[in-house]
Amino acid sequence: MSNDHTHTHSDHAPILHDEVPCYYEILEISIRELLVEKGLIGPEEIREQIEVLDSRSPALGAKLVARAWVDPEFRKRLLDNGVDAALEMGITSYDDTDFTVLENTDKVHHMIVCTLCSCYPRPILGLPPDWYKSKEYRSRAVREPRAVLAEFGTILPDEIKIVVNDSTANQRYMVLPLRPKGTEHFTEEQLEALVTRDVMIGVKVLHN
Amino acid sequence: MSDTEHLVKHLPNDIGGAGCHEKISITERPLYPWEKRCHALLDVLDYHKIVNTEEKRRGTENLGTEMAGKLTYYEKWIVSASNCLLQKGILTPDQIADKTKEVSERFNIKM
Repeated sequence: MSNDHTHTHSDHAPILHDEVPCYYEILEISIRELLVEKGLIGPEEIREQIEVLDSRSPALGAKLVARAWVDPEFRKRLLDNGVDAALEMGITSYDDTDFTVLENTDKVHHMIVCTLCSCYPRPILGLPPDWYKSKEYRSRAVREPRAVLAEFGTILPDEIKIVVNDSTANQRYMVLPLRPKGTEHFTEEQLEALVTRDVMIGVKVLHN
Repeated sequence: MSDTEHLVKHLPNDIGGAGCHEKISITERPLYPWEKRCHALLDVLDYHKIVNTEEKRRGTENLGTEMAGKLTYYEKWIVSASNCLLQKGILTPDQIADKTKEVSERFNIKM
């Protein structure tokens, strides 16, 4: 930091470089700098992509769900073509993947997983939580979904069929949950506030 | 089934239904800054078709079972990216060695 940096730091603690980067961070910095030096990527592209990543969160998915609950025509379009319906709401896809929305019913509950790696609708829900990427979730979700759901506190009656949807590099999923009873007079914004990330992954349900 | 058949049928990361019985660790944490940069770097490499998502995924698969089990998520990504760039001849081992030495010295780390 230069010596002519005079403004006061009283409003926040200084960020110190007291943590030594690990081997993998050194590798990340090195590869990025080499690619920039070779002109293969622009120096500002990583920062711009971080801004894109930071602009995506489950709030976007919640907007799609709430709109689908209040607008039956939109619901149809969302189930028919997730990418186009999201675009209608101003939500662009940045990773060129198909986006399929799975509708829960009184008889069927959907949940999503990626057994191979960590495929997830990032443009709509942001980056996935660690547990979604864990070997425990990935290996068990397809074999014993009810036991997995129970660990999230979700117990479904036996008569409800559970469908586990395995994502791929090209095909991403999100769950359209059942609208809770008693929300008939809620505004769209109030409905959005009910919808959480875990509900759209399908490991939780909204209580009626 | 032969003793080795499962090795052929399932690559290290193909773990759907693989006899894992451990509980899921349901915790939340923000990514470390370098992890988010790593994520962004791989997205940018995909945009430019320098290393695409499928190549990166296959690269993590090719790390083998031991590394797949021991490295964290983004550690695997950056090693996969590094290997892909070496295989394509975009970077050389010497360039990576020289650069990691330079970066380490910047942080006063002895390699």
